[in-house]
Amino acid sequence: MEKTKPKIKLAVYWAAACGGCCVSVLDVHEKLFEVVASADLVFWPIALDIKYSDVEEMADGSIDVTLFNGAIRNSENEHMAKLLRQKSRILVAYGSCSHLGGIPGLANFSNKEEIFKRVYEECESTVNRDKIRPQPENKVPEGILELPVFYNDVRPLDRVVEVDYYLPGCPPQTERLVEVFMAIVTGAHLPHKGSVIGAGSKAQCEECARKKTENKQIKKFYRPWEIIDDGITCFMEQGILCMGPATRLGCGHRCIAGNAPCRGCYGPVSDDSDPGTKMMSAISSIIDAKEPDDIEKVLEDLVDTAGTFYRFSLPSSMIRRKMI
Amino acid sequence: MENCRIGVYICMCGTNIAKIIDAEAVKKSVSKLPHVELVETYKYMCSNPGQEMIIHHIKEHKLNRIVVAACSPNMHERTFRAALRKAGINQYLFEMANIREQCSWVHDDPKDATEKAIALTRAAIQRVELHDSLESLSVEMCPTSLVIGGGIAGMTAALELADAGHSVYLVEKNNHLGGNLARVDLTAPYLYSARDLLTERITRIKTIDHIHLHLNSKVTELTGFVGNFRAKIYEQNGKTDGNEKLTEVKIGNVVVCTGYKEFDASRITHYGYGKLPNVITSFELEKMIREGKIETKEGKIPKYVAIIHCVGSRSLEFHGYCSRVCCMTALKYAHEIKSANAKSYISDIYIDMHAFGKGHEDFYRRSSEAKTLFLMYEKNDRPVIRRAGPKDDCEMLIEVNEKLSGETIEIPADLIVLMVGMEAREDSAEVARLVNISQDKEGWFIESHPKLEPVATTTDGIFIAGTCVAPKDIPDTVAQARAAAARILAKISKGKIEVDAIYSEVDPDLCSGCRFCNKLCPFSAIEFDEKEVHSHVIAAMCKACGVCVAACPSSAIKGRHFTDSQVFAQIDGLMEVVHFAE
Ligand SMILES: Cc1cc2nc3c(=O)[nH]c(=O)nc-3n(C[C@H](O)[C@H](O)[C@H](O)COP(=O)(O)OP(=O)(O)OC[C@H]3O[C@@H](n4cnc5c(N)ncnc54)[C@H](O)[C@@H]3O)c2cc1C
Ligand code: SF4
Ligand code: SF4
Ligand code: SF4
Ligand code: SF4
Ligand code: SF4
Repeated sequence: MEKTKPKIKLAVYWAAACGGCCVSVLDVHEKLFEVVASADLVFWPIALDIKYSDVEEMADGSIDVTLFNGAIRNSENEHMAKLLRQKSRILVAYGSCSHLGGIPGLANFSNKEEIFKRVYEECESTVNRDKIRPQPENKVPEGILELPVFYNDVRPLDRVVEVDYYLPGCPPQTERLVEVFMAIVTGAHLPHKGSVIGAGSKAQCEECARKKTENKQIKKFYRPWEIIDDGITCFMEQGILCMGPATRLGCGHRCIAGNAPCRGCYGPVSDDSDPGTKMMSAISSIIDAKEPDDIEKVLEDLVDTAGTFYRFSLPSSMIRRKMI
Repeated sequence: MENCRIGVYICMCGTNIAKIIDAEAVKKSVSKLPHVELVETYKYMCSNPGQEMIIHHIKEHKLNRIVVAACSPNMHERTFRAALRKAGINQYLFEMANIREQCSWVHDDPKDATEKAIALTRAAIQRVELHDSLESLSVEMCPTSLVIGGGIAGMTAALELADAGHSVYLVEKNNHLGGNLARVDLTAPYLYSARDLLTERITRIKTIDHIHLHLNSKVTELTGFVGNFRAKIYEQNGKTDGNEKLTEVKIGNVVVCTGYKEFDASRITHYGYGKLPNVITSFELEKMIREGKIETKEGKIPKYVAIIHCVGSRSLEFHGYCSRVCCMTALKYAHEIKSANAKSYISDIYIDMHAFGKGHEDFYRRSSEAKTLFLMYEKNDRPVIRRAGPKDDCEMLIEVNEKLSGETIEIPADLIVLMVGMEAREDSAEVARLVNISQDKEGWFIESHPKLEPVATTTDGIFIAGTCVAPKDIPDTVAQARAAAARILAKISKGKIEVDAIYSEVDPDLCSGCRFCNKLCPFSAIEFDEKEVHSHVIAAMCKACGVCVAACPSSAIKGRHFTDSQVFAQIDGLMEVVHFAE
C-alpha cells in the first residue's frame, strides 16, 4: 500500500444489538494494525469518545464506510441510522440484527405494551409499586429529560434507510470483515449495491462435511441433548433440526464444526427468500407421516417453532410480526 | 422486460356470467390499471369471432399480454392459447380469470359477485405482467418398446408392435409363454382351444427377429422418461446352474401385462379345500380336462359334480369385485364334463349368472338346456360342504339355502369345483414401483382415466393391458393389448414428443445439494448428480405439481409459470380489491 494514499474514514455504530458485533470488530486481533494503517476511526461509541453532535457536524458523505450493527428498535436507533446514512458513502448493515432484525427482532412476537408490562411490572426481580414507565419526556427542576421513543416494531436497517451492503452473521465472521474492508481500501471491484458481501451464495449444506443422503424423511425430531449425535451424519437425517439448508454459507461452519446444528444467523440464501417460511415449508415436506394425528405427534417435538425458524429473521420475513 | 401491453377481455357467456356480473363495471374498474391497453366485453369469447377479435387486437394494438375473464381454464385455456399462437405471440403470455365457475355460478348477490370478478380479473392482470415466454421441449422417441409379461396380453401387444416393424423386448418371468391361458383347455363361449389360440402366437414370436424374448427374466430397474427409458433385464436360466445374465436396453415405451393370480381357495376354510381331496379349483379341473381324464383322487369317474361360483369374489371378507370369467367358465365345465361322461349329474351353485359378454347369454341358454341343475345362493350365505355318510352313494353333501325356492337343499357331490376368482399378483406392488404407477386398494393397476384412458397411466410412456388392470376375459384382454400398442405406435410415428413448457427447474447456482427434494417427486422426476453434488429435474417427467418447489429450503427450484413473484402478484391483485371494497 502506498503511504501517500489518504486513509479512509471508518465508523462503527451499534443500534439495538448485544454488543457482540462491535467486539467482533476487535476480534480482527493484530489485523487491526492493518486496518488502522489504512483507516481513521472517526466514530465508534464502544471504543472512542466521539459525541453524536460531532457526527452531526461532519460533512455529508464524509465517512467512507460505516459498519452499522443492531436493529432499529427506538427513535434513537432510527435517528442515528438516518444521520449515518447521510454522512456515509457506504453504509454496511453489519451482523444479523441490522441485516434481518436478529435476536432483538423476536420481540415482534409481542408489542410495546406487553414488553413494558412484563419488564416494568411483572418481572420477578422488579419492585415498581407506582408502575412507573419510561417516558420520552420527563420534566425535572433542571429542565426536560429525554429518552428515546420505544417502538412497537423492531426493523432491520434497510426498512429505515438505504443500505449499500449486508455483512451477515451473529456476529459476522471476522476474517470476512477484513476481506471486505481490504477490498474497500484497495478499491477492488465491489459487488452491486444491495448485495450480501463476505458470504457465499449457496446454503450451508454445500460445504458441510456431514454425510448427506436422500433419506431426509423425519419420523421424530430430537433436540440436540436428547440424542447422541454420531458426528458424521447430516443432522437432519438424525432428526435434529438444522437451519443449514436455508442459511447462507460464509460463517465457516462455526456451529456445525462444533457439532451443533446451524441456527441460521447468516440469513437467507437468495435475496428474495424468507428462510423461516422456506424451512417450515421444507420440513413439512419431509415429515414421514400421513394421518393428521401422526403429523401432529411429530411436530410436538419441535419446541418453540417460531423462535426456531425465525430466530434471526422475523422482522424481515413475510410475517414480520404478530398482528397488533 | 419489454414494454408490457395488456389486452383484457370480459366474457358474458351468453347470460351465464352476465346475469350476475356487471361486465361493464368490471371493464370500467380494470381499464385504468397500469399497462392495460384495451378492455372489451363480449358475449362469447370462445366463439370464432371472440378468438378472431383477440388475434386482430394483438396485431393492431401490438398487445403482448392477454387476460380473458371467462370460464375455468380447464374449459378454454387451450382455446385462447391457440389464439395467441395464431397471432404470433407466445402462448404463455396469457392468463384466465375464472369469473364463471368461481363467481357467477356460485354467487347470487350481483354487487358482491361483480366485486369478486373485479378482484379475480385484477389478479390475473397483475400476474400476466410477470409472465415469461416459454418454449416447450421436444425429445426423441425411441421406437423400441418393452413388454412385461408374456401372457395373451403381452404376446398380443408385442406382436402388434413388431408387425408394425418395431423392435420389442418381451420379458416373461416363467420359462414359457402363455400365462394363465396356457393352463386353460377350451375357451368360453365359442369353445376354441386355448392351445390353438396360443400356439400361433408363440410360434410367430419365436420367429420374428426383432422380438427379443427373455424367458425366466424380470425387469429389475427402469429409469428415464417417456421416449427415453432404460431398463435392466435380469435373466436366470435354470435355477441351479446359476447362469445369470443382465441386459441393459433402451426403450421408448412400456406395456405392463403382468396378469393375475388365482384366489387361494383354502382361505375359505369351510369349503375344505386342501383337506377334502375331491374339492378342487377350476385350474385343477382344467388340468384334468387337458390330460383327458376327469376323475376323483381315488381314480373313479365322478357321478355327481358340483360347481361353486364366486370363490373369493363378490364377498365381504375377500374381494368385493366380480372376476368376470368364472360364470362362463363354469358353464364351459358343465359342457366339458358332460361330453366326457354323459351320465354325470352336474349342479351349478351360483350367486347371479353374469353373462354380459358377446355370445354369453346364448351360451348360458344352451347350457341350461343341457340338464344342469342350477341353484342360486345368497351372496354372503355360502353353501356348506361336508363328508357324506357311509349310506350315501356320494362322497360329499352340499347344503345350499336356495334363493329362488327359499328352501334348504342338500345335493350330492363326488367332485366339487371351486370357481376361484382373480386377484392381483403378489409382486404387483413391486412392479408398480418399478414403473411408477399406482394400484387401487385391491392391487390392480390404475389407468389414467377409467373411461377415456383405459390403457394409459399417470406416467407417460407406461401402459397397462389385460388382467393386471382388473379381471377380464380374453377378448377384452386382447382389445386392451392392441389398444396399448396402437397408442405407442401413434407416438412412435410422431417421432418426437412435446414436453409441456410448464415444469420445474433447479438453479445449479443455488442448489446446495441438501437432498431434501430427492425423494419427494411423485413422478420420480428428480435426479441427484453425485458428481456435481446437486439435484436436477428431468423436464420431460415433471408434471409441475410444485411439491419440490415448496420443499427446497434454498429456493433453488423454480416452478416455471408458477414463480413466487407471479403468484404473489396475483395475490396482491386480489388483496388490493378487497381493501378497496372495504
Ligand atoms: C379358470 C379360468 C378359466 C378361464 N377361461 C376363460 C375362457 O374360457 N375364456 C376367456 O375369455 N377367458 C378365460 N379366462 C380368463 C383368461 O385367463 C384371461 O383373460 C387371460 O389369461 C388374461 O391374460 P393376461 O395376459 O392378462 O394375464 P396372464 O395370463 O396372467 O399373463 C401374465 C403373464 O405375465 C407374467 N408375469 C407376471 N408378472 C411378471 C413380472 N413381474 N415379470 C415378468 N413376467 C411376469 C406371468 O408369468 C404370465 O405369463 C379364464 C380364467 C380362469 C381363471
Ligand atoms: S442440514 Fe445441516 S447438517 Fe445436514 S448437510 Fe445441511 S448444514 Fe449439514
Ligand atoms: S452455523 Fe449457522 S448459526 Fe452457526 S454461525 Fe453459521 S450461520 Fe450462524
Ligand atoms: S369463453 Fe367460457 S365463459 Fe366465455 S362463452 Fe365460452 S364457455 Fe362461456
Ligand atoms: S414439480 Fe412436482 S413433478 Fe415436477 S419435479 Fe417437482 S415434485 Fe416432481
Ligand atoms: S432441495 Fe433444493 S437445495 Fe436441496 S438438493 Fe433439492 S434443489 Fe438442491
